[in-house]
Formats: sequence, C-alpha cells, structure tokens
Amino acid sequence: MRVVIDADACSGNGRCYSLVPELFTDDESGYGQVVDGGEFGEGQRELAEKAVRACPEDAISIEEG
Amino acid sequence: MDDTSAETPMAASLADLSMATAEERTAIWSLMASAGPVFQIPGGMWMVTDPAGVQYIHRNPDLFSNVGIIGAGELPIRYVPSGVDPPEHRRYRKILDPMLAPRVVNAMEEELRVQARDLVSSFAGRGSCDAVKELAVPYPTSVFLSVFGLPVDDRDRLVHWVETMIEKSPQLKPEFAEEYTKASWELYDYLLPFVEAKRENPGDDMLSAIIAGDGEDAMSNEEVLGICILFCLAGLDTVTGAVGFMLFYLARNPELRRRIIADPSLVNPAIEEVLRLEPPAPMFPRIVTQDVEICGVPIAAGDRVMMCLAAVNRSAETYDEPNGIDLDQADRGHVTFGGGVHRCLGSHLARREMRLVMEEFHKQIPEYEIAEGFEPEIMWPSGTLHLRSLPLVFPPAIGGDA
Repeated sequence: MRVVIDADACSGNGRCYSLVPELFTDDESGYGQVVDGGEFGEGQRELAEKAVRACPEDAISIEEG
Repeated sequence: MDDTSAETPMAASLADLSMATAEERTAIWSLMASAGPVFQIPGGMWMVTDPAGVQYIHRNPDLFSNVGIIGAGELPIRYVPSGVDPPEHRRYRKILDPMLAPRVVNAMEEELRVQARDLVSSFAGRGSCDAVKELAVPYPTSVFLSVFGLPVDDRDRLVHWVETMIEKSPQLKPEFAEEYTKASWELYDYLLPFVEAKRENPGDDMLSAIIAGDGEDAMSNEEVLGICILFCLAGLDTVTGAVGFMLFYLARNPELRRRIIADPSLVNPAIEEVLRLEPPAPMFPRIVTQDVEICGVPIAAGDRVMMCLAAVNRSAETYDEPNGIDLDQADRGHVTFGGGVHRCLGSHLARREMRLVMEEFHKQIPEYEIAEGFEPEIMWPSGTLHLRSLPLVFPPAIGGDA
C-alpha cells in the first residue's frame, strides 16, 4: 500500500508525525512528509489508518496496490 | 434542512447564556449543533456547526475572507498573518511557519520548561494556589517574551495591556473604545523601540529573525508590529484558557490524573482531549466574498459566517464520548487550531506549553483538588474563553518556596 499526503489539504497540524513517527516526519516548516516514499507493507496498515483518522484536514489517504 | 435558517430562541440569546461551568458549555454546544448545520442568528451572522461545512470554509479562503475580522483600531499596523488572505498570506506563512515549527520548539524546550518549573515552585510549598492567576496567565506571556527576545521582567505590564485589549474590545461594547485604545498604544509604544533596536543589533530570537528578512522577505514596522501584537492577542489568552481548562479537568478527575502520572505516554492524548473539549477560541468568523452555499444553504457575498469549532469538536459521529474526556479517542483529530491556510501558527508552541505545565506541575504537585466553594467564572460574550480563577489545594511540596 502507498500512503499519500495531499499537499494542498495539509495545513501543518503535525498530527501524523507526532502520532505515527514510524511513517511520517516533519519538514522544516512543520508540515508532514511520508517516509520511504510512502510505500509500506501490510504490517503498517494500522499505523497508516491511525494517521488518516487523526488528520484534521483529511489530507492523508491510503492507495492500494 | 429547510428550517436551517430559522432563528432559534437559543441563538437569539446566545450572549445572555452563561459559559461558566463545563455543564453549561456542553449544553450550549449541543444546542447549537441541534439548531442545524447552518443557521442565521439575529443581526444576520450565519452559524456553521457542521464538520464538513467548517472544513469547506477552511479550505476555501478565496470564498471566506479573513480581511477585516480583527479590527486594528487606530494603530498603524497590519494584522499579519491571520488578518490577510492568500495569495499575500502565503508569503507571511512561508516566513513564519519555520520559526514556530516543532523542531524550533524542541530547541526552546529547556528554557520554557524552566519558566514553568519556576512558576510552580513559587507556590508548591504553600499548599494552595490560583492555577489561573499564578500559572496559566503569567506563563504564556513569559514564553512570548523569551521567544521574542524581550525582557521577561516586563511580564506583568504586558499581561495588563493584553488583558485590556481582549476584555475591553470595542467589538464587545463601543464604550470600551477609550480604554482599549490606550492599552493598544501602550503595547505598541512598548514594542516599537525593541523592533528598532533589533534592526540595528539582532539577537538570537524570533523578533530578530522576522526583522532580518531581506529582499522579498523584508518586513516593514507595520508588519512586524502587527505580528507581535497579533501573537499577543491570539497566543496568550488562548494558552491561559487551555492551561486553566487542563488543570481544571485534571483536578476534578483524580483517577485520570493518576493514570497520566503513572504513564507519561498519556500526557499528549490528555492534552488533545482537553483541547477538543474546551477550545479556547470556540467560534471563529470569516467574511463571505461571493454568493456561496454551505451544506446547501445559500449565503450572500458580504455576510459573516461563524465557524462553531466547539460544536464540530463534539460531533457524535466522530467521538464515542463527545462531551467527556476519553483518552482512547484522542487520535481522532479536532479543529481547535482552525484549519486550512490559517491553521493556528502557534499550535506547536501551544501544545508544548501545555505539556511542560502538566509535567512540571505534576513533578512538584501530583495530588491536588479544587478548593471548596469554587464558583467558576468565564467572561462571556468574548472571542476567547478562559477560567478567571482556579483555586487548588494540595499537600505542600517539600523544598518549594513557601
């Protein structure tokens, strides 16, 4: 699966990298970035879903395949 | 949704309601949500309680403007950045976001921790304190002064000017204008010499960093002072509110408090739940720039919309326990810091201030309760909510200053 942040919707709340540092990191302005190009195994699905839920802008999505 | 524009008795008397107790606030936000996703109140203001409606407003700053929502009075300043719209707004946030990003806050943490510790030490040995007047009020002002490289000894003067500007806003009552104007000029006259001095001799602080911009990042005094004064109006009283509410809920939930003290991983979830339940700025306005529809309700250009963030934060569709603290739902997000391009610039700093206060308070005062006979007071109507006082009693800490 691939985790994607919609850069237009992201407003830098920082919930993703605060709650799920395994999959996300902060840039120098405090905006979220996915690590490893966003490509993660099934074992990380729960973490990815946590970030999707936590984002107040609904800016994070999981693409299958 | 045919009746969404109906005037409700609740809305008509919003200003007359009391916001003082947690139960009253719960009743008010529930009533607002039940009045409809979008409804108009006497005077013409549109209230938006629907989560998708609020997100639509946040995501479309071209349709919903921030220009003119904060009056500068007669000061020669621009309220940068939250009184400015895109595309100009982007320039300011590009400069300011990195100055308050988490990694910058990390670098300041030790200094900010010492300030929290010193305030707690000042009353820990006494066995009682007013957690609002002795901690929640002075702390964010000390933090502002040190972040901006200003003398922390000036704290109480600054608290006085800012309190006056917020509590005596002419937007609340026209007759406040004189007192408001006096305080706002005093704050301006206090800040201006520092801005001028730091242009000559920059220090290692945020004010110097703002002033240091050159080329297209160069800032006029009008802009720099607008940033400083906006930080004071948006970043002090709100943190006072958040810290006061945090200690209020911790004081009245000893089981929750003991769980958090025993397991530090619960500190941040507890902070998120307090922020969700008690947003210090519970409603936030925008001005409609062209005819639009929100949740199917037509709204005309020039009208004002008020986003009811507190109601969105208590949506029963999102939270199992909308009106109470439940650490298991702390990862579901909230809109206390707004959203879209105007998301609170100071959110990372505010969260850190709350955490440092909680940690330093609990290190010295793990057991405490609200003093008998406490009657909560909250000024309302107001743009921001905070407890005026929170008397706590506790076993005196050994080694604290009595």
